[in-house]
Amino acid sequence: MNEPMDTKQKDDDEIIEKAKALFDESVDSLDAATLSRLNQGRHRALAELQRANPVGPSLRWLPATGIAAAALLAVMVMRGSDGVDVIEAPVTASDFEMLLEEDSLDMLEELEFYFWLEATDLEANGNVG
Amino acid sequence: MTAHTGLFAVSCSREHSTGTKTLQGERQLNQFLAGVERRALRMAEIAVRDRDDALDLVQEAMIKLARNYATRPSTEWAPLFFRILQNGIRDWHRRQKVRNRVMVWFGRSTSDDDFDITANLPDPSGRTPDEQLQTSEAMQQLELAVLNLPDRQREAFMLRTFQGLDVAATATAMGCSDGSVKTHYSRAIHSLRDTLGEHWQ
Repeated sequence: MNEPMDTKQKDDDEIIEKAKALFDESVDSLDAATLSRLNQGRHRALAELQRANPVGPSLRWLPATGIAAAALLAVMVMRGSDGVDVIEAPVTASDFEMLLEEDSLDMLEELEFYFWLEATDLEANGNVG
Repeated sequence: MTAHTGLFAVSCSREHSTGTKTLQGERQLNQFLAGVERRALRMAEIAVRDRDDALDLVQEAMIKLARNYATRPSTEWAPLFFRILQNGIRDWHRRQKVRNRVMVWFGRSTSDDDFDITANLPDPSGRTPDEQLQTSEAMQQLELAVLNLPDRQREAFMLRTFQGLDVAATATAMGCSDGSVKTHYSRAIHSLRDTLGEHWQ
């Protein structure tokens, strides 16, 4: 009962396999002129793709964007050079560090001595002069 | 200053990324089309029996795919491409029928009833007699048998056997259900077996 069905299936498989092989052979034996025309057709299709999704418009703005950026940079440099908008640098942490150094405190403690020394010198010079 | 430079850099980077994506997509599509074009041509040629017309149909299908479906996932391209091609082939047959009717009306053609497709069949590839000699007789028999199948059976057979699409992709390409594909395909095989006979195998 199953044998005729199996034979039929086998016949079908053979037909399919042979058809596939013959078709593949005919595809492989296409001549150069036909392949060239296919190639041309494909490139026309790809050109259509470029037309549909152009890279151009975004790049088209690139020179204008560059000019605008350069102009902005020039304005910023010019405004900075006339000194009007230049903000003085604030006191930074390094200045405090310098003031709080041990040597600096010693100098403050001896400040009275320096004033006395200066006054003494002035008196001596006055006496001489 | 830094913010401006950053914006410019991001903008350029985005454009560069878009351009790269477009190029990648183009390369992918080119690869896909190069992979299917020869088979598509032979399938169209078997269906319309004219190489020039087949080339036009394939090119038209490639352009339509690029124009309308290039952004779709590449896995969908094969069924979409063959659907476009099959629609083109159907339109071609409709135009031929209209043209034949007009020609008959002007008395320039014999009736379709007298038309024997196997008699004096021109070589579809336009090959020289020497080249024709090299062509396998078995292939010619197969082409004729496939050509004589009803349209839907021919489509199912070519897409499944020649292009190797699975049932689902064939159904998408044909615009019908999986079940219909199986039916058309099965009938096509049986018909070919009867037409070609045991000697062909």
